[in-house]
Amino acid sequence: MREILKLGGILLLICAVAALALAFTNELTRDQIDYQRNLASEKARKNILPDAESFEAMDEDRLNEIVEGNNRVAEIYVGYKGDSIIGYTIKSLSPGYGGTLEVMTGIDIDGKIRGVRIGNHQETPGLGANVALPFFYNQYENKSVDTDLEVTKTDATEDNQIQAISGATITSDAVTSGVNIASNTFKKIMDK
Amino acid sequence: MNLFKNLTNGLFKENPIFFQLLGMCPTLAVTTSAINGMGMGLASTAVLVCSNAVISLLRKVVPSKIRIPIFIVVIATFVTIVGMTMEAYMSTLFNALGLFIPLIVVNCLILARAESYASKNGVVGSLFDGIGMGIGFTWALIVLGAVRELFGTGSVFGIDILGASFEPALIMILPPGAFLALGILLAINNVIKSKSA
Amino acid sequence: MNGKLIASSSPHIRSGETISSIMRDVVIALLPATLAGVYFFRLRAVMVIFFAVLSAMITEAVIQKIRKQDVTLNDWSAVVTGLLLALNIPAAAPWWMPIVGSVFAIAVVKQMFGGLGNNFMNPALAARAMLLASWPVQMTTWLAPVGHTVTTTATPSVMASVGDAVTTATPLAIISGGEGAGNILPTLTDLFIGNIGGCIGETSALALIIGGIYLVYRGVITPRIPVIYIATVAVLTFGFGGFDPYFMTYQIFAGGLMLGAIYMATDYASSPVTPRGQIIFALGCGIITSIIRLYGGYPEGVSYAILLMNVASPLIDKYTGPRVFGEVK
Repeated sequence: MREILKLGGILLLICAVAALALAFTNELTRDQIDYQRNLASEKARKNILPDAESFEAMDEDRLNEIVEGNNRVAEIYVGYKGDSIIGYTIKSLSPGYGGTLEVMTGIDIDGKIRGVRIGNHQETPGLGANVALPFFYNQYENKSVDTDLEVTKTDATEDNQIQAISGATITSDAVTSGVNIASNTFKKIMDK
Repeated sequence: MNLFKNLTNGLFKENPIFFQLLGMCPTLAVTTSAINGMGMGLASTAVLVCSNAVISLLRKVVPSKIRIPIFIVVIATFVTIVGMTMEAYMSTLFNALGLFIPLIVVNCLILARAESYASKNGVVGSLFDGIGMGIGFTWALIVLGAVRELFGTGSVFGIDILGASFEPALIMILPPGAFLALGILLAINNVIKSKSA
Repeated sequence: MNGKLIASSSPHIRSGETISSIMRDVVIALLPATLAGVYFFRLRAVMVIFFAVLSAMITEAVIQKIRKQDVTLNDWSAVVTGLLLALNIPAAAPWWMPIVGSVFAIAVVKQMFGGLGNNFMNPALAARAMLLASWPVQMTTWLAPVGHTVTTTATPSVMASVGDAVTTATPLAIISGGEGAGNILPTLTDLFIGNIGGCIGETSALALIIGGIYLVYRGVITPRIPVIYIATVAVLTFGFGGFDPYFMTYQIFAGGLMLGAIYMATDYASSPVTPRGQIIFALGCGIITSIIRLYGGYPEGVSYAILLMNVASPLIDKYTGPRVFGEVK
């Protein structure tokens, strides 16, 4: 019995010291970590809606109204220039080749797509993963939300066509459907 | 106790990756590029040195029966501290290494050095052992990462070396390439060791 | 007195088969498929075959010198590996691809694991899997056979790298939708003779079957593995493909099934030894191929199926080995 108490006591002491050290470090780094995380998200949003000066998450109730339980829409941010709304950034989730892709779409108030970026994904490096490169996602710039975008394997001839990456059709399709989800969400926002 | 020997042991003769074959999981997973390998190596070294020192300081106090949980608590604490520090001040590297930073806890290299050296020797010796093993781990990771990056993307440390006409072998930055590259490096190291023996 | 009598231990009756004679038979059996490939794909096919065989032979000689063994190029086994690899690559492949593949097949898969007879996987097939993982775009760009008029699915950049030749999709890719959708399906005759897109040796079912019959006649292989493998794929693609005989016939003659079942699955070192083991092996290959083709993400499943069964062969051998006389179970 005594031995168990002694062992337990030593373990307790060491864990207490460890916990103290961790709490201390947490205090020291917490603000900086928050800052870094926000910075990354802000930068991402600025990339797809360049004219915006600040962003705010869409208010919870309105978000639920728009999304209506569609679990493919992950978040919506409102882009402001001064006091007026100039657009929205929508993060949608789309099933790709190796898993779910995060697609971020920035749409301005006139219904024009200002930018698309790819977030977390598990696509094949060198193939599907290349959708995260400018040569692919720049195709979405200046497209309108009026008609759904579609993927083609040859050169894009129509306004609503995106050319797939050779050998990565499934991933290219996934990104496009993610953008289409964002477009339709935008139309819902404008209707309400 | 030859302090210098402690340092050089880890560098070549008892290199954690090429001869002790410890810490294979992060080795194979993270070395998709030279810089990732280096980042992981340095993070692990930081943890190894700190944990070796603390465990050595505590060695007279730690009862043998509960030494493993205590080692793990110490190692995990340092990993968390290193992780938080990286996320705060080196966020690009932090994002690149991602899931593998918490996994440093179960890198058996650190636990093995704690068990076989730090818990039985003085602080200074343990410190040097930690530094030596850590640097050995790091340079091995850099080599493996550089090889995989070179053949898998044509560049090393982000600098394009093989030029535009090189068609990179994607397999090298995928898991099978890790095993292939590691196997060949192990063979080369064994040849070097047997030649110098 | 001439006619000295030499005392030696058994065996005293020899069949006349040697490693080189068996390998030579395989090369002869592959000749129809090789010639068909050259006929349909012309100069590029010749280049691929030439580089593959040459680098296989050079690699084998170099490695054997390093290992301080006798150089056994005259057993023709390197030639067979090189040729099989070439037949498994598209004719549009760049010149260095068969070289890298051959080096990998001989140096890593064959020699590093012990040399002839010790390979645990089919070297040519393992090399093909490695090439596919490393250069997926080049390994899935096929030339249209000469004189073929068909629409192309390749992007301009890929077309540029194959020069004037027209690229096409394989019948399996067309039938499985996805990459090849929208192309015209070749006729069954075209499929049988080989006037379709695909890797150099896999297109002409006719040529492959001729070679297979020759191999059976010469006693190099038994029909067991090829027949059971192909039959399994036939039954499964018939049953799960909507009971459509047209679809089933397509699946049998398209892709690498003929090439794989006759020439690759029958490799001595990487398949089971006993008849019962071979049956299980062939069934396994057929089941996995069908599952990958019908439900998996790839249009073609033969190489992975054979490689997976190769790896399972020691296990199969363990459970189907003959009982030693007097052994207590």
